[in-house]
Amino acid sequence: MPDIFADFSPEEPVRIPLLDSFLELPVIIQIAVIFIFISSASIVFIQVRIWFTRYKGHRMQKRLAVLLPLIDNLISEHIILRNDVMNNSVHADNADLDIDAFRLREFRKKGNKQILIDRLISYRKGFSGSTGALLRRLYLELDLDKVSFKKMKRSQWNTKVRGIRELTDMDISISDVNILPLTNSKRNELRSEARNAYIKLSKNEPFKFFDISTEPLLKWDQIELFKTITTTENIALPSFARWVTYSSNKSIVSFCLKLIVHYNQIDAGPAVVKLLDNKDHVLRAEAINCLGKLKYEEVEQQLLHIYSNQPLNCQLEILKAIGRMETRHSVLFLKQEFLYSTDFDIRKNAARSLVRNAPKALIEELMASSSEDGQLILKHSMNPLIKY
Amino acid sequence: MRNILVIDDDEIIQNVLEKILVKEGFRVERAQNGKEGLAKFDLLKYDLVITDLMMPYANGFEIISKLKQHPNTANAAVIVISSITHEESVMDSFKLGVDEYIRKPIMVGELLLRIKKLLLSRPSNA
Repeated sequence: MPDIFADFSPEEPVRIPLLDSFLELPVIIQIAVIFIFISSASIVFIQVRIWFTRYKGHRMQKRLAVLLPLIDNLISEHIILRNDVMNNSVHADNADLDIDAFRLREFRKKGNKQILIDRLISYRKGFSGSTGALLRRLYLELDLDKVSFKKMKRSQWNTKVRGIRELTDMDISISDVNILPLTNSKRNELRSEARNAYIKLSKNEPFKFFDISTEPLLKWDQIELFKTITTTENIALPSFARWVTYSSNKSIVSFCLKLIVHYNQIDAGPAVVKLLDNKDHVLRAEAINCLGKLKYEEVEQQLLHIYSNQPLNCQLEILKAIGRMETRHSVLFLKQEFLYSTDFDIRKNAARSLVRNAPKALIEELMASSSEDGQLILKHSMNPLIKY
Repeated sequence: MRNILVIDDDEIIQNVLEKILVKEGFRVERAQNGKEGLAKFDLLKYDLVITDLMMPYANGFEIISKLKQHPNTANAAVIVISSITHEESVMDSFKLGVDEYIRKPIMVGELLLRIKKLLLSRPSNA
């Protein structure tokens, strides 16, 4: 039997000439060589990625150049240029729609189907009335809603967002089971999209997700939601006092306070007053701001009573609220704050509220007796161009 | 034949308006942005200019004020099609001499009726 291990000696290491010569180099050179190798590999990788992305973009452009005119012609012929639709003489649900004309071999591919969805959505954003309704019908009858629903079930958050957006743009209702959990997702983008969709699509209780939201409603999300709420037609508005009273999510309470002001829900006053005992001074300040804008006069004495125990932001809001209420009951208090406070913001807000509440004679008297700073603050407060 | 100029950076709106108006027997010129729109003023005498407000290079307000000074467009009717719903933008447009302000998304039938009504009440500029 031949001894295949005859030449092998365990003491003698395996020698790789290139590695050996590398190891013989000084350390600094070794580091430089490794650095050059990593840099070169990265450049090659990035360049290949760029080529690949460009190639994909080029292929997409070629595909779009073929498909978009085809889709545009189909939509023009079967939806937009129809006389019955242009004259509005037929309801979209009853109009004859040649669905088979859209069931082309080209649209069986997943990528091409997506192009069709995107184009339909773009058209629907541009056209309403019978045209918009027919486009929606087309989307449903081609079962494209199923494609969007499938996206909602995918694990990647951006695909979910895309699915929700498509369904929202096409005004397709999504069941609470599917959308409600997403309104409380850890991923902010998904959460925000789901909340917007829920408000737009839920016909009965568009604010139900406020009940289950534990994740915060960020400032930007509040702006987006506010825009959605105020621009969605026929939205069922609840009494927002419900969440001011029961929600443990501070950002939801804060947002509801803004909605109470916007919709002038004066009935919410007692619920907002209870927030004056809240431990969070930011929320307290927002509640005071809300009460001032609602001109909820019943709370004026309570605000004066708690004033001295409040942090600066709440004190400023109390001064503003008293000014907005315009009851003229607290002129003396405002005068004292204006004359004796050492804080500039307090003096400024007290002056503004004084200008709104105090008799003209008192303002003139203050102008005459105040220091130079005080006079400047009063003049500033009396400027009608400065919004209060 | 009445001449209509459509200025909108939304390719879909441009295409659809062109098709509808051509079907109705109008001659249509189209421009993709404000700059292109202004250049089209020299081409023809227009009876109607349909313009968006938010566009690159020159916005709708600039276009409206310039078209009122151009001999080819001074007498043209003007329709604004925009997704801007602010009262101020609507008021500013009317102050500049706009005849109709239509909000996006558009109702095709309504737009067509308004165009026909506007053009019927004016003599042809061509």
